Amino acid sequence: MNQTAQQDLRDEEIVALCQQGRGEVFEVLVRKYMEKAFRIAFDFTHDTEEAKDLSQEAFLRAFSRIKQFDGRSSFYTWFYRLVVNICLDHTRRKGRVIWERLDRETEGSTERAELADGSSLPDEEAIAGEAKRRADQTLEAMPNKQRTAFLLRNHQGLSIPDIAKVMKTTEGTVRVYLHRAVAALRQSLVEFV
Amino acid sequence: MKERSDTLRTACKDFEEDLVLYYYGDDSEAERSRVESHLLSCASCHAFLDDLRKLLPQMVKPNELPQSFWDNYHREMVEKLACQEERKYWWRNLLVPMRAWMLPAFGTAVVAALAIGLVIGKGGWHFSLSQPREKIPQEILADTNQLEFFESLDMLESLSKLEALDGTKAEMLNSRG
Repeated sequence: MNQTAQQDLRDEEIVALCQQGRGEVFEVLVRKYMEKAFRIAFDFTHDTEEAKDLSQEAFLRAFSRIKQFDGRSSFYTWFYRLVVNICLDHTRRKGRVIWERLDRETEGSTERAELADGSSLPDEEAIAGEAKRRADQTLEAMPNKQRTAFLLRNHQGLSIPDIAKVMKTTEGTVRVYLHRAVAALRQSLVEFV
Repeated sequence: MKERSDTLRTACKDFEEDLVLYYYGDDSEAERSRVESHLLSCASCHAFLDDLRKLLPQMVKPNELPQSFWDNYHREMVEKLACQEERKYWWRNLLVPMRAWMLPAFGTAVVAALAIGLVIGKGGWHFSLSQPREKIPQEILADTNQLEFFESLDMLESLSKLEALDGTKAEMLNSRG
């Protein structure tokens, strides 16, 4: 099978081929989902290298467990669940380290910008930076489930039924998580609107 | 983005969750029309929805990574998958040094070794089955002899009982006669 034919295959067909021992076609799924997987991981970690490692780990795990995929859900919800679980495990392990590093990076970049310009940042940029910092801080402080629901909906554009499948919960619960997350963000960022 | 100093206006409690779903387009037709008719008359809910429209799209970080990053990502991923596959089938590496003609030869040698093993094993069984009686321990043999002795005693006892029976029969016949 040539590359163009492989690209045209549906996810389920690729998974079936992998289950029959044609592991080389898994590469098509990597190409298709690598940006999305990386984005989710980046939203959790705020670090390019970590996001790359975590999302690649999710692909490796998916590949090694491909025979366990029973087709009850679509491949991408099954794969999203793997990515989200790996990211949540990672944030649990690292705890507050992520946020501390984010603080350091923000301070460092401000100092660098000041040195380059020879003056302080313009007000608007400073406010935008502060708003971003506050948003990240609010997301960081949120319960994991609220944050996950919010990131999957707002950043990844998943539908509520799909988020419910990824998070193995009901659509009603996802709506509640999403509402609480949005309300918390609005409350912390309203002064920047 | 301008800093706003005014206090937070809250949306109506009954509508706040619906407004979030309305913003994302995740509500039903009925819910949508209910929210829309409420928005016409409620300034607080209108302000809440405006805030969401301004804030939430800004939170999505744009994809600023160059194509070379994704090319590297994909190449690394393919290498890692190949490594994982290699680890899974490590035993195949043992067969790699073998040339094509070696494989049938190796197979024949294995079959021959198995056949020889079976023949020797079978011979061993025969050997164990045809062990001479002399090898039976003396204690067991003594017990066997004793058993024969007791059996003969039982037989003698039975004979004497038969004789006694015969005696009583003869006495009865004599008394009748």
